[in-house]
Amino acid sequence: MTAPTLTKDLTAPATAATGRPPQPAATRRLPAVARSGARRAGRGIWASGAIVLFLLLWELGPTYLATASTRVFLPPLHEVLRALGSLIAKGQLQNHLAASLTRSASGFGIAVVFAVALGLLVAWYRSLDRFLNPLLEVFRNTAALALLPVFTLLLGIGETSKISIVAYAAFFPVLLNTIAGVRTVDPLLVRAARSLGLSNFRLFLKVILPSAVPTIFTGIRMAGTSSILVLIAAEMVGAKAGLGYLIVNAQSSFLIPDMYAGILTVSLLGLLVNYLLVAVERHFSRWRTAVGSQSN
Amino acid sequence: MTRGAGPTPKISLRNVGKQFTVRPSKDQPEGSTLTALEGITLDVAAGEFITLVGPSGSGKTTLLDLLAGLTRPDAGQVLVDGKEVTGPGRDRAVVFQQYALFPWRTAAANVAFGLEGTGSDGRRLSRRERADKARHYLELVGLSGFEDRYPHELSGGMKQRVAIARSLAYEPDVLLMDEPFAALDAQTREQLQEELLRIWRSTGKTIIFITHGIDEAVYLGQRVAVLSSRPGRLKQIVDIDLGERSGDRDVRSDAVFIEHRHKVWSLLHDEVRKAQEAGHAKIRPDGSAPDEAPQLSKRQPSKGQLSKGRAA
Repeated sequence: MTAPTLTKDLTAPATAATGRPPQPAATRRLPAVARSGARRAGRGIWASGAIVLFLLLWELGPTYLATASTRVFLPPLHEVLRALGSLIAKGQLQNHLAASLTRSASGFGIAVVFAVALGLLVAWYRSLDRFLNPLLEVFRNTAALALLPVFTLLLGIGETSKISIVAYAAFFPVLLNTIAGVRTVDPLLVRAARSLGLSNFRLFLKVILPSAVPTIFTGIRMAGTSSILVLIAAEMVGAKAGLGYLIVNAQSSFLIPDMYAGILTVSLLGLLVNYLLVAVERHFSRWRTAVGSQSN
Repeated sequence: MTRGAGPTPKISLRNVGKQFTVRPSKDQPEGSTLTALEGITLDVAAGEFITLVGPSGSGKTTLLDLLAGLTRPDAGQVLVDGKEVTGPGRDRAVVFQQYALFPWRTAAANVAFGLEGTGSDGRRLSRRERADKARHYLELVGLSGFEDRYPHELSGGMKQRVAIARSLAYEPDVLLMDEPFAALDAQTREQLQEELLRIWRSTGKTIIFITHGIDEAVYLGQRVAVLSSRPGRLKQIVDIDLGERSGDRDVRSDAVFIEHRHKVWSLLHDEVRKAQEAGHAKIRPDGSAPDEAPQLSKRQPSKGQLSKGRAA
């Protein structure tokens, strides 16, 4: 508002003196704003370009490029979206989603609580680390899905086995990152706290834990992603509800658009969970220089 | 002023020695012992400001650790108020070169850190009392209005001010400062030296200040203790009397200052040369000394080494 009047005041005498047409600062600034806006919009288009192209290919490819038999197994996007809409309208999708979310949230929650607790103990007590580390390495390198039959045999095909396998898969990223977080505490801070005469317990509570929190949250984010992954697979093998069941069941019932609707839901759910966990992680690490200087 | 020989000195070092066992390495498969300090005897009166200079690797930081109670001496005694130091305590505060602020706490919360939990009188401060104290001490170091800033939002000089405020906040009698201004630029350093003198005068703390700057040592200290090259012994104590230094007078260009400065310089000069010839370098917290290229002015605590030794 004030800028144009100001520039007019400033440039008017200058024009009178030199006789040259003035070039107000506002008009010089306007293209700059427009240019940066356009640049941002351009970057936005470029960033979503790949997605848009992919969706276009999905929509047009089956109709124009694929043979008739392939088209049955790869329906164009609008058919999948229609199937998704009707699944939502019938309330089926919500039921499957709720079943999956309950399982992954419980398994994930159990894993986080136990992994953080064990991680803190292992990082604090060297002897416990030496004792447990070989076993933990063996378990960590055994793919969770390889153990799925064991879980099913021992715990049945009910909720227990699914929650357990999710907990198992989410356990290790959190555990390892908790250990790393505690180990990489700046020794100078420990020294400073010691010079204040802090007891071990309070040192742990006031220095080691808070400084390990960002690393722990990195582990939690990784665990979130893998807990969904493993759950879907578990639901595909034996379940009566859940997104994994929806996908497999739709396939065997030859409801191909429904199957794709399930897959689409899974990937959207994964994106959403990751986004939320990144936001939480950022919140807890905002004191870190790199993150802090970016967000401020 | 009683110079050390008073009835009960605030701090008394009696024939203090400290050795480190160096872990076996490729060059020395048996390991060895490194004598960091030997036969240090020094009395510091209450309210005195004493500075400590010495060549790299002469055990300055080791001496400070002993005073702070972070390590115990192998020989002799370290007494504070006539009582032997057995561990860290709230009667002494340490200010580190690298600030050691807790990055997840705001400036005010950092200052309040030492106030949490039961104090020396067995009383817990309420949240409000802690905040008041934090504000008061931030004001004392000239940082009013920065209470809610995180350390990464502060400059080096401001961080060190917060660290000093944190040390003052729980009201120790003794301030132990380990090259606190070494990482700052010259202007900020001078400014903080001025502030430190002001704080010292207004609070009457006993200050032991380690530095490798001769100017800084002469400017700040009432006495300058010069340590010899390793093993660190007390070579000489130089009394500094710069007279009245009120006003904006440039004390550093006074003839008296230059004379004192030269005295400390010549005492230190031989030791620095000896240390360099022997290739002494900074003693690491785990007791080893790299002793690689002779380094004098810049100390670089190697991070990797530190974290190995202390993290767990």
